[in-house]
Amino acid sequence: MTLAMREVRWGTAGRMIIDGVTLQAAPGRVLGLIGPNGSGKSSLLRLLCRLRNVASGVVMLDGRDIAGVARRDLARRLAFVEQQATTEIQLSVCDVVRLGRTPHRAALASWSAADEAAVNEALARVGLAERHDQSWHTLSGGERQRAHIARALAQEPSELILDEPTNHLDIQHQLAILNLIRRLGITCIMALHDLNLAAMFCDEIALLHEGRLEAAGSPDEVLTSETIQRIFGVAVAIRPGASGRRHIEYLIEAEGRERS
Amino acid sequence: MSHAAHGPNWPARIAVALVSLLALTFAVALAVTIGEMRIPLETALKALGNGLFDLDWPVSAIQQGVIFDYRLSRALMAGLCGGALALSGAILQALLRNPLAEPYVLGISAGASTGAVAVLILGVSIGGTALTVSAGAFIGSCAALAVVALLATGAGGASDRVILAGVATSQLFNAATATIVTTLASAEQARGVMFWLLGNFGGVRWPDLWIAAPVAFIGFGICMLHAKALDAFAFGVDAAASLGVAVTRVKIVLFATTAVMTAVMVSIVGTVGFVGLIIPHAARFLVGSGHARLLPACLVIGAIFMILADILSRVLIPQQILPIGVVTALFGAPVFALILYRARKPK
Repeated sequence: MTLAMREVRWGTAGRMIIDGVTLQAAPGRVLGLIGPNGSGKSSLLRLLCRLRNVASGVVMLDGRDIAGVARRDLARRLAFVEQQATTEIQLSVCDVVRLGRTPHRAALASWSAADEAAVNEALARVGLAERHDQSWHTLSGGERQRAHIARALAQEPSELILDEPTNHLDIQHQLAILNLIRRLGITCIMALHDLNLAAMFCDEIALLHEGRLEAAGSPDEVLTSETIQRIFGVAVAIRPGASGRRHIEYLIEAEGRERS
Repeated sequence: MSHAAHGPNWPARIAVALVSLLALTFAVALAVTIGEMRIPLETALKALGNGLFDLDWPVSAIQQGVIFDYRLSRALMAGLCGGALALSGAILQALLRNPLAEPYVLGISAGASTGAVAVLILGVSIGGTALTVSAGAFIGSCAALAVVALLATGAGGASDRVILAGVATSQLFNAATATIVTTLASAEQARGVMFWLLGNFGGVRWPDLWIAAPVAFIGFGICMLHAKALDAFAFGVDAAASLGVAVTRVKIVLFATTAVMTAVMVSIVGTVGFVGLIIPHAARFLVGSGHARLLPACLVIGAIFMILADILSRVLIPQQILPIGVVTALFGAPVFALILYRARKPK
């Protein structure tokens, strides 16, 4: 079970956003997508789950072009967690997670025991089981993101795609969310802003820059001081961190040197 | 969305259906017995029996006509109109993710009335039967929908822009209607059209119901088939698509359904505001946000509300009939304010 894209191009309003990216997610592993603002991370994720259609190239799920897969069948394989999705509708936590069962239910089907079990299991996995009946609007940012992940898990996907799931969360909740994602045991592809968090929690990293894939591989291969300097325009010192993963320290002098 | 255990709870469903039917029957009974001409309940029931089951009870021809051809058809039309407009409001609010969306606010009603007026005034010589007016109203409502979509997309596509686009669309089509009426209509036509544009059940007769009833019930059926898809729109279009909803198809089908329902109701009774706005909110308070319950609730509550509003329009001022749109606005605005206020409080 793998999700892959080959030579994918996509643009909007006459501008090329994704320019010939070839990428593959290893089954059961966490692939981190990093890159400067506007490098195309969000667009790439949306192409992967066909929320946008590729202009050229192909996105494949188990070797099959997803352009030919029915939207509902796709939703049983791929789940997508947006950054900061919210609603004005009065919903409980369990209402939100129940939405994840949508692709598994026929138009007039009633709620089944399997649906209930999937929802309860998803809530338990993200640690929101006792928040079942709480209103969505009373949840904190971190809890909302957990509820979204639970909703995605209720879809019973084999691949989970997340767009900056830790955005606007405090550091404690960022770590908690990423720990949760890493331990899910399904293939995860997520865009991340923080390079250190990417180094700590991702098995593989793909670096996007201006719509092109600059580098892909293990964190050690991709997160080199030379690459970071070149793409992000900051000087860094890289040393082994306490977690065993590499730690990136940003050097302030770099900015002065660049200006002079 | 129900918190009940899995599987449909049939006894509860049947109970709710029975209560709804009872409430509807009661509202219709009220509408049939209350009016300028005092007719005893017994006579009213006999007249209904004569009309519905071909019985031969002794009822004067005038009373028979008032009860069966005037009041009953009018009450049933009010119910269909209220139900369809409330349903349209619920659909638009879900698809556009804006609690203020409804056919009237978005200018769809204005577009429908432009189309209807155009047919009525320009096409009288062709025959001008209700069906032709409905067709004109449908073309008008689709045009209004297209203008709203275009303006809203052009303004960035955010859900709050839709309402601004709706305001502009309403103005545009109201101006078009006014132009047609002032330049092409005779003084008598103009008076008739203006009264009809504020909503008026006075002209309703049985043939109107043969158009309105199938449209309302088929529309309801189509909406119910999409109840789960509508739930999935809670977090936006991308979220719905990633949950397996064929967003474009669902939007086209449901916008078209809304347009047809609005067009047919406007072509028969004129523009009636606020119903599509308030009833879905009231229904959410009662049954929650899940569309499998919300849509039937909108149909029933919208119908009852409109039947009662029509009764009020007939008795509020003695010897006079208020336009139905005036009554719905009279009650709609304060109720809406209350709903807004109460929605903010619990946090």
